[in-house]
Amino acid sequence: MTYRRSLLSCLCLAMWVAGGAAHAAPDGRELYIEHCSACHQMQGHGGIGLPLPNAKLRDVTDDYLFKTVRLGRPGRVMPAFQRMSDAQVHAIVKFLRERSKTTEPTYSDAPIVGNAEQGKVLYAEHCVKCHGEDGSGEGQGTGVTGSRERSFLVMPASISNSGFLQSISDPMIHHVIEVGRKSSDMPAFGAGKLAAQEINDLVAYVRSFEQRQVEAAALAPDERPTHIYESPYDFDTTVANVKAALTGANFRIFPDRLVEEGLIDEFSVNTRQIGVRFCNFNVLYGMLKTEPRLGVVLPCRITIMERKDGTVLLAVPNLRVVSRWFNNDELVEMWDRMEQTFVSIIEEVTL
Amino acid sequence: MKTHLRSILPLVALWLIGGAALADDMLMARIPMRAEIALEYVKSSIEEHGYSVAHIQLCDSGMSDFGYKSDFYRVVFFGKISEVRMITERYPELVSYVPLKIAVIAEKDETLLAVLNPEALLPFFAAEEVQIQLGRWHSDLVSILDELRRATGQGLAARN
Repeated sequence: MTYRRSLLSCLCLAMWVAGGAAHAAPDGRELYIEHCSACHQMQGHGGIGLPLPNAKLRDVTDDYLFKTVRLGRPGRVMPAFQRMSDAQVHAIVKFLRERSKTTEPTYSDAPIVGNAEQGKVLYAEHCVKCHGEDGSGEGQGTGVTGSRERSFLVMPASISNSGFLQSISDPMIHHVIEVGRKSSDMPAFGAGKLAAQEINDLVAYVRSFEQRQVEAAALAPDERPTHIYESPYDFDTTVANVKAALTGANFRIFPDRLVEEGLIDEFSVNTRQIGVRFCNFNVLYGMLKTEPRLGVVLPCRITIMERKDGTVLLAVPNLRVVSRWFNNDELVEMWDRMEQTFVSIIEEVTL
Repeated sequence: MKTHLRSILPLVALWLIGGAALADDMLMARIPMRAEIALEYVKSSIEEHGYSVAHIQLCDSGMSDFGYKSDFYRVVFFGKISEVRMITERYPELVSYVPLKIAVIAEKDETLLAVLNPEALLPFFAAEEVQIQLGRWHSDLVSILDELRRATGQGLAARN
């Protein structure tokens, strides 16, 4: 018995050590590959995410990078990596520094005092064209993904985003306005264009966006990932009704696909479980410009299943839940509208 | 002995949770190869992990047919018949999420792979059977993406 206890103690100790080793001394490069490279590319050229060029890294502090990873850009594809440890986030920042061969700049701690009202006038004159009236950037889309047309090579930063405003210091904002960003064609407004005080006024105006933050509507606590309805009709009638309702709502219907199709031989497949797939290409194209990763859910499918007891169920993904997984406010708005369409169709079918 | 085993189970759970603490709602990987080739690697890796590729949806062709410009964009549907049957019989609320899907998206000469993290569904299901299933899918998807990274020299040594 004593021997067993010792054995268990050793096992616990080994697991604790192994667990500690797995989490200690995180490797920034590996963390970057796993969590960042898909959007920003390995060399920081950007894709779905914005580019991370050396010129930009020279202008930003480690604290800005740390907070950007930690807070993300709510509603703008860049997720908040809140489950990483501080050591892991620091390791990513360190890796970015090493890869870019940049050193952290230092900025004055002196507070910047500006007149936001004056800044608003200057903003309308110099900034609104790219950053938009609300500071949210160009509008649809993100990053530099080449296959989607846009009027700027890089989407202008959303300078009203809460993640951005919590990450950046006033002196950093001042610096960026003063020297510009060659990497994204943002012009320099120092060197005679704007006086230092005028830049301070702009900083005060940008900071004022903090007071206009609008939080995305939270999900109701009883929200489920799928809507399940019981059909009052038999399986074949339900399938026909779904197709008729989709056609009436201007969706194109694809050939039927059985839920088990392709996973088992054609003689064993359950033919009483079917996915009715549909699409409106105009809507799909618009959504892909907003969220290129849409394919991970392809939500336009109503699954119809006949149960062993003869009841027929309809299942349709709850777009309010699904859209929140993308951290993309534009998509949330689009899918909240589409959710109404889906529910209307199902209600029509099950009347 | 059973009592002692029970006493260390929470420790095991904590240890495992620590390893999965980085989970995000979206799992992604960038593969430095053309999408047509990457797609073949994806199919191969999926099958090596014991899944069957059910079908591949040609999203780009569909959009092109309607006059919309799009690069290579495919969605690979895959699954295991036993798991799909378990879901359809006992957890119809999960049926919209099976078969699993990986989006294969071209970005010039590189390929972006994206998949919904099944663990994003964890908060909605209390049943242990579902929790285990979602965790297993998550683990397999991470492994598939890592295998594809490794195939192009970008493996994650810490996980190996």
